[in-house]
Amino acid sequence: MTVTDQGLLEREKDSMTLNMGPQHPSTHGVFRVVLEMDGELVESAEPHIGFLHTGIEKTSEAKRYVHVIPMTDRLDYLSPPGNNLAFCLTVEKLLQTDVPERANYLRVIMCELARMASHLVWLATHALDIGAMTVFLYCWREREMILDLNEEISGVRMMTSYIRLGGVAQDSTPGWLQSVRKFIEYFPAKIDEYERLLTNNPIWLDRTQNVGVMSREEAINWSMSGPVLRASGVNWDLRKQRPYSGYEGFDFEVPTGKNGDIYDRYLVRVAELRQSREIVKQALKKLPSGPYKVDDNKISLPNRKTLKSSMEALIHHFKLVSEGVSVPKGETYVPVEGPRGEVGFYIISDGSNVPSRVKLRAPSFMAIPGMCKMMEGCFIADVVGIIGSIDIVMGEVDR
Amino acid sequence: MTSEEILKKVKTDQGETIESSEVNLGDSVIFVGKEAVRGILEYLKADPGLDFDYLSHISGADYLNEDREPRFEVVYELHSIDKNHSIRIRVGLDEEDPTIPTVSDLWKGALYPERELFDMFGFNVEGHPNLSRLIMPEEWEGNPLRKDYPLTLEDVTFSHNREFKQDLVKSKPPTR
Repeated sequence: MTVTDQGLLEREKDSMTLNMGPQHPSTHGVFRVVLEMDGELVESAEPHIGFLHTGIEKTSEAKRYVHVIPMTDRLDYLSPPGNNLAFCLTVEKLLQTDVPERANYLRVIMCELARMASHLVWLATHALDIGAMTVFLYCWREREMILDLNEEISGVRMMTSYIRLGGVAQDSTPGWLQSVRKFIEYFPAKIDEYERLLTNNPIWLDRTQNVGVMSREEAINWSMSGPVLRASGVNWDLRKQRPYSGYEGFDFEVPTGKNGDIYDRYLVRVAELRQSREIVKQALKKLPSGPYKVDDNKISLPNRKTLKSSMEALIHHFKLVSEGVSVPKGETYVPVEGPRGEVGFYIISDGSNVPSRVKLRAPSFMAIPGMCKMMEGCFIADVVGIIGSIDIVMGEVDR
Repeated sequence: MTSEEILKKVKTDQGETIESSEVNLGDSVIFVGKEAVRGILEYLKADPGLDFDYLSHISGADYLNEDREPRFEVVYELHSIDKNHSIRIRVGLDEEDPTIPTVSDLWKGALYPERELFDMFGFNVEGHPNLSRLIMPEEWEGNPLRKDYPLTLEDVTFSHNREFKQDLVKSKPPTR
């Protein structure tokens, strides 16, 4: 700023720089964005990330494969089973092992429950950002039930680590299956309740329609994924395109939008809540009996009962606990559809029991440049709406 | 297209520019030199039969502990939304000059992964509009995901085991 001859202040530029975050409640974690404002309009938005850098990729290079699984929970902390699954599928592909059918079904049930829980958190916080307080409390109520289900089957409410190499941590009990059945019978009426509050609400429509628009071509070019990509009219769901864990056996639809605005992303996610419930329903109906993990004691722990009678089981147990799984040399990548989009681990193995490189393909990380592109030219009040509609999780952005 | 068909097509069209190709656990993988990578990626995006319009991720790798040349590698994973097939492109980078051309003008989604390569591996991405630290602070020294970057650089504050402490500081690359 300089002072003119008349003693007036002369500004170098006509815009104002506004800092938002990292302690801003609507940035969903510790995301910081520096906005260049022209009055109420955003001229440009520059993101700053790294406030939640945990170094999980580096730490993984010093941990055995089994020990990486609990760390993957902390990446996308709203949907831990999705990350567990992505990691386990990749390692299983390197090991070239197939998991039993029952394990696949249990994995699908857990992943879809996590998708519902994650979308509920998204709906709750997104609606709160835009100003709808009631939805927040309603969504939290239903999410709590899913967390109770998590606790019952894995012992932990959020960081379940339930999906393990070669199967799942433990078998489901009839009581748990009954609880899940009860929940999915109860849930649809609640989705209707959220929709009654929002879908035709004039304030909600005003704040979301034609805001943060991204065309089909742009969404593909900016590597958006998941509901954001589908809201722009791209029919791309890895559960359909690259079926894994037996998703090809389920009958479900992939909801897509037309306009690619915040409202379409809302509709797509709410439709996904119903589809996920549909998948869980079918999985419960078709759940086969049988083992819940592979019978290969080089990959999964032997049955506890056999330890006292079988020498071989004891040796396997000892080797697996003290040394871990040795994965053949090679590298591979398996993408899965998480609640936010394509999640995948690119794993390089050097043949030992410790991965040589674990790289996470995080949908939130890839979406941040595109998100800031959407903010350009919109009102400052819509910035929170756009951040909420992308549904970023900083745990997987900073890793 | 299946992985074999993709590789066959790429080999017929760009046979002399790619170094080798393989089907790895069902995925099509091609190996390219860093001079040719830009041309190959342009071809993969523009060719109507392949139509790789979606960049899934770009990943760096450091093969210091393995006996191989060159030391570094950059891996591109591409999908085709309409054709529903994928390809992986692996580019070797030598230690003296880890420079690779940017693809952020082809896929805008490459902006962040390429900055991450610069930040975490110290690769020089030529032509990137804003090549600066992404996750680590601006003033940070070193590139954390390189294998010769120790797992912990900080002194252990409270430890009665002096040897252990020394060992941690000296360990390069990190001990397992």
